[in-house]
Amino acid sequence: MAKLSILVVEDDPLARKVMASQLGSHAADFAADTASAQAKLETGRYDLCFIDLELGDGAEASGLELIPLAVSQGTYAVVMSGHDSEKFVERAYALGCNDFYAKGNEEANVGRILDRFMGRRAKSGSDLFTERFVTEDPATRATITDALKYASSDLPIIILGPSGTGKTSLAKIIHDHSGRTGEFVAINCSAYAEDLLEAELFGYRKGAFTGAGDSRKGKLLAADQGTLFLDEIGSMSLKMQAKLLKAIEERSFYPLGSDQAEGSQFRIISATLEDLQGLIKAGKLRFDFFQRIHGLTIQLAPLAQRKCDVFPLLSFFTRGGKRLNFTAAAKERLSRHAWPGNVRELKKFVDLLVAGHEGSVTPEAVARLLADAVAQEGGGAFASDEQYRFALKNGLAPAVDRVTDEIVRRCLDENGGRKTKVLADLKISTRLLYASLKRTEAGR
Amino acid sequence: MTLDTLIHDVNSKCASLKDAAALLRGMPTAEAKELLALMTRQALSLADSIEEYAEELTAP
Repeated sequence: MAKLSILVVEDDPLARKVMASQLGSHAADFAADTASAQAKLETGRYDLCFIDLELGDGAEASGLELIPLAVSQGTYAVVMSGHDSEKFVERAYALGCNDFYAKGNEEANVGRILDRFMGRRAKSGSDLFTERFVTEDPATRATITDALKYASSDLPIIILGPSGTGKTSLAKIIHDHSGRTGEFVAINCSAYAEDLLEAELFGYRKGAFTGAGDSRKGKLLAADQGTLFLDEIGSMSLKMQAKLLKAIEERSFYPLGSDQAEGSQFRIISATLEDLQGLIKAGKLRFDFFQRIHGLTIQLAPLAQRKCDVFPLLSFFTRGGKRLNFTAAAKERLSRHAWPGNVRELKKFVDLLVAGHEGSVTPEAVARLLADAVAQEGGGAFASDEQYRFALKNGLAPAVDRVTDEIVRRCLDENGGRKTKVLADLKISTRLLYASLKRTEAGR
Repeated sequence: MTLDTLIHDVNSKCASLKDAAALLRGMPTAEAKELLALMTRQALSLADSIEEYAEELTAP
């Protein structure tokens, strides 16, 4: 059974002890009164909450007042009581509780509740691929299903895949299935200069550096008992890797400007679009750091390799909003698109489509909006990250050739294979056109 | 103390005493002593509840 995050609200110390024993294989947390239970429930981190009906505070059935809060946080609320009078059972269910049982024989009671909860989760788990990570691709579904088997372990995970394939979404899903009581804390390593990244990760004390007006908690501490998601791990400097490696190994670290070590138990999930072995060979990734963050490796395929997901994703992104009707030619045009920006590009495309006036979507509108989506996704930068890294790895000339070939191929497709139109539209020489077509042919 | 409160007390306290007793099997001595102390406190608290109800019942 997956490790669950469970809150037990119980004023009786002996009953808490019994519950701790029954829930031994799960992450159980305890509250003895309504105030501390409310504070814990508001974090929204619990899968289940066992609530004692009478919390010994003099008020009748005070445990009932916790039910609406638990339910509003998506927590499966279970009321346990020393008496099962109809009056309280009825009130508990009216307030939204999911289960009610009379105390006595907790081993059997708790076992039954957990089985019911898992059964319910298994049923609702069918929305994993229609709500949380939309995919109909059998290979991607199998990859994610396999990955979730490791969710409750402490094993580090690396998620590989091009930009926009859903690496962050998957990391969050793994965290949500992990039963870890702490937070999911994400940081994009490429978004910070080295010094800033260190301050973000480790935190700092007031006066640690110019501008450090107040002390600040770092991401490592924020992820205590939770998950630290390091996106774009390949962009981290060697020096930073060494510092993080030490913190991971020792499970403690020093915030900048502090001589007091902080402890933090976090699970690491990292992601990158780069080739990790290539980075190690190039001396950009420490092997010992790689070994420490490398446990399970998950490879997410680009959207171009799972075209069956384009229309389910389109439906998902337009759900509850404007209804769109794609002509057959528009569908065909969408199917041919390479989606270099993956799901992120598709989302941008849908946003443009919904914001526009088109109800019935034509291939011309698709072509125009795809161009706009690509331009907006680039944020003004003409070369994408992937193009840039390809150029660094293979040289500029092959990168330019590849871009040229893709543009030529696309223009040719959009013009029904008419080469004269391509020559005119792209303002290129016949020689360049044929050189490009030859390369494309050779590459097949 | 009402009869309903007493019934609730007896039920829930006896339930946890019964479950705690079952946990004693195979438990290391130090842990068992700690659990037994909690059980004793529970039993005394239950006796107090019964006594309190009895006093209220016999009060003029």
